[in-house]
Amino acid sequence: MLDFFTIFSKGGIVLWCFQGTGVTESFTGPVNALIRSVILQERSGNNSYSHDALSLKYKLDNEFELVFVVGFQKILTLTYVDKFIDDVQLHFRDRYKNELEQKGALALLNSHFAFEDDFKMLLREAEESSKARGPTSMRSFNASLKSQKTVKSMIETKGGDKGKEQGGKKNKNAKKEGKEKAAEGRTAHNNLLKWSDWNGIRHIEITYLMYLILFPSTPAAEPVKGEKAKAPTSAQKTEENGNQGLTQEEIIQKKREEFIRKRMGAPVEKPSKSPKPVKEKPKGKEKRVWTLGGSSTKELDYSQSNGNGAHAAGDQGLDAQADPGDLLAVDYDVLFKMFLSPKKGAFGGMFGMLKGLVGSKSLSQEDMEPVLDKMRDHLIAKNVAAEIASQLCDSVAKKLEGKVMGTFTTVASTVKGALQDSLVQILQPKRRVDILRDVLEARSQRRPFVITFCGVNGVGKSTNLAKISFWLIENGFTVLIAACDTFRAGAVEQLRTHQRRLNSLHPPQDHGGRPIVQLYEKGYGKDAAGIAMEAIAYARNQAFDVVLVDTAGRMQDNTPLMTALAKLIAVNMPDLVLFVGEALVGNEAVDQLVKFNQALADHSMSDKPRLIDGIVLTKFDTIDDKVGAAISMTYITGQPIVFVGTGQTYNDLRSLNARAVVGALMKA
Amino acid sequence: MATEPGINMEAKIDARENPFEPYLDALKKVLEDQDPIFMIGIVVSLAVVVITVVFLKYLLSRKTVQSAVLLVGLCDSGKTLLFSRLLSGKFKKTQTSITDSSAPYKAKNERGSSWILIDLPGHDSLRPQYVEKFKSAARAMVFVVDSAIFQKEVRDVAEFLYFLLTDSVVSRNVPSLIVACNKQDITMAKSAKLIRQQLEKEMNTLRVTRSAALSAQDGSAGASVHLGKKGKDFEFSQLPMKVEFLECSARGSKGEDGEADIASLEKSLALL
Repeated sequence: MLDFFTIFSKGGIVLWCFQGTGVTESFTGPVNALIRSVILQERSGNNSYSHDALSLKYKLDNEFELVFVVGFQKILTLTYVDKFIDDVQLHFRDRYKNELEQKGALALLNSHFAFEDDFKMLLREAEESSKARGPTSMRSFNASLKSQKTVKSMIETKGGDKGKEQGGKKNKNAKKEGKEKAAEGRTAHNNLLKWSDWNGIRHIEITYLMYLILFPSTPAAEPVKGEKAKAPTSAQKTEENGNQGLTQEEIIQKKREEFIRKRMGAPVEKPSKSPKPVKEKPKGKEKRVWTLGGSSTKELDYSQSNGNGAHAAGDQGLDAQADPGDLLAVDYDVLFKMFLSPKKGAFGGMFGMLKGLVGSKSLSQEDMEPVLDKMRDHLIAKNVAAEIASQLCDSVAKKLEGKVMGTFTTVASTVKGALQDSLVQILQPKRRVDILRDVLEARSQRRPFVITFCGVNGVGKSTNLAKISFWLIENGFTVLIAACDTFRAGAVEQLRTHQRRLNSLHPPQDHGGRPIVQLYEKGYGKDAAGIAMEAIAYARNQAFDVVLVDTAGRMQDNTPLMTALAKLIAVNMPDLVLFVGEALVGNEAVDQLVKFNQALADHSMSDKPRLIDGIVLTKFDTIDDKVGAAISMTYITGQPIVFVGTGQTYNDLRSLNARAVVGALMKA
Repeated sequence: MATEPGINMEAKIDARENPFEPYLDALKKVLEDQDPIFMIGIVVSLAVVVITVVFLKYLLSRKTVQSAVLLVGLCDSGKTLLFSRLLSGKFKKTQTSITDSSAPYKAKNERGSSWILIDLPGHDSLRPQYVEKFKSAARAMVFVVDSAIFQKEVRDVAEFLYFLLTDSVVSRNVPSLIVACNKQDITMAKSAKLIRQQLEKEMNTLRVTRSAALSAQDGSAGASVHLGKKGKDFEFSQLPMKVEFLECSARGSKGEDGEADIASLEKSLALL
């Protein structure tokens, strides 16, 4: 059933692998994809991942730096996989403890892990246990709780004839099933699989509901209703569960009533035959039975004995103590509790603190919980989106679980270190980011390099476009600005002003008589995608190096505008799609990026849609050290931050320094 | 009248010294009361502590210097397999590395010198951290290149090589560089000579674009080390460190069970 199972070290060496029968393709590809998209992008909180037709589940062993990955077909739903991985992990660790404990990779390289037989045995056990667990046998009626209740307790007391009627119906059921006494009238549940009884019970359920709506319910009705709702579901295993039955009851009720009316003729005399349940007053609320309580008040009378009574009552939980004197019993109790639960006792607390400082202690979830909560709050205070912060903390917890800490390192320092590493890892670009090199490449291929700017309203697209064009012309490239913002008033004029200023800074005389920046515009109200296409064609004819396409700002949930943007990008296929986001944004960043990516993916015709390739983080000078927006944006898209805007003049354009941002983020 | 300010001044001066005086006096008394030998003992012990601390610092800093050879390169270039072949000669299946692996390696030369071989992960998001961690301990770097897909990756390879060569610690320590053109068992693999020429051309361009790159947002500029000679095209021979290009194949031409073709690599490593 499993396609493959691998055990490999975090350093990359595969220690043992298993390939299922009939599986020919290698698993290296899917496992690499799992590593790159989940583990390295800090999404380890959720431990399953799907790649093509395969579903992969994995488990990290942080003490010995191993990764366990199992793969199976996505269409199969195997219930035993999670427990199976845990079992395999424990088994493997125990068996190869010696080799794994040695530092250095030589032990891993030289030893041969013959795990086949153990694995097959574990797999067999897991499969059998899942099969055995499949059809759960129903409890016999006598074993269920329902048999403990009397019929009287289930009968409604308010409204005499209603009660009689219900009692009658219950009796009808009882007589139908068995010849037992009234107390066993609950054997209605014995033959739940019979459609007629199911029918009858459901009718009772419906009538109960009606009754409850009309009259305030008694406590006895609630559990009964719940029980009845549960019993049919477990019995029937059809799509009609209790909820559905309740909602469709109006529709079915008429049919049911007809059917019942047919059967009503027979059991009408029944009430006379077994009057006991009807005549007896319903018990109402049953007395609660306390397990240690005893049944009579005589036991509570300690006036006679010298403490023997106290012993009898108090020492029920403890086996040992037989000495008289209740003072000793109390002391023993306290000490006993302290030894049993050292964490809560005074001694345990002291030892725990010392143990935490010295010696090797492996991290568990409870140890990390308070520290992670604090870190999560700290991240949220630094403007990281809330769900990103919690996902990050979960991922760090997964990475550190079971790890053995060195001496004199506290839990807090380990967690902080791991979190810092994860943050730096997220901010590092996953591909090469060198715009100038790519522009040179495009120039050698005699085509312009097209950059498109998109984003919501007011984030600084036009300003940063001007800054980027300044940087490009400083490095000797010719730039064409395409004014595809045909909506906002003054957008074209703004770009024209920038063009004039840039040209005055770098006069055409220096560049062979040709203006280094030109503006391609067609006024207002025209189709943006068409203008972009014409601009790119013009740039190709005139041998411009770079085309910067400015688009109108749009809200992410404005569907027609998102469609228009997606069309612009799909039709023109720019080399770089930059999302411009401001650093002040908080949780909104997640929503913006997700919806922009979604729109771009949905409206593109090809099967490899152009998504957001990079992020421009603007207004960075307005935030002091609340730099969390950088983390949110890179985490959501996985794309690097290409530019950082730090002001409103042409020189205020920077690149991102991951270490500095993470330092500012982790600062207290 | 004139004396009054004088008296006032004296009183003031006295008042100023007075807070210290009782303490100074008390200290002097305590010191004089002590045994002179005791005093000498204290001074000697202090001196010993200071000397030990200095000595330890010196020792520790010496240890981290240059005792390791790093295996670096892009993702999927074959570093981990090369690591396995060099150390144990066996073929092992590998996955993308998430952390570094290190092991002592015995060089195949007469001296039998042994140093530590460290395999760093090549994934883009992990590379900078691990290079940062291990660059000061490097006495040589083996830069592994995937010769089969080199044409597609030439810009990424060059950028990483540029990043390594312009690092301040690396340009200070000047570890020798071995560029191992791996995966020669594949028929489309490029030769070491071709790779060398392509890299030189690419590094030439990179010198220009990298120096024009934007500075970081906190003001720290990029690498200020200029590679090679100004005004002339970049060549690897212009670098201050020893650079060598060689071909190897970690998988080996005979498939998984055969020997790896790493003889030239082992020879170069022996010369370190």
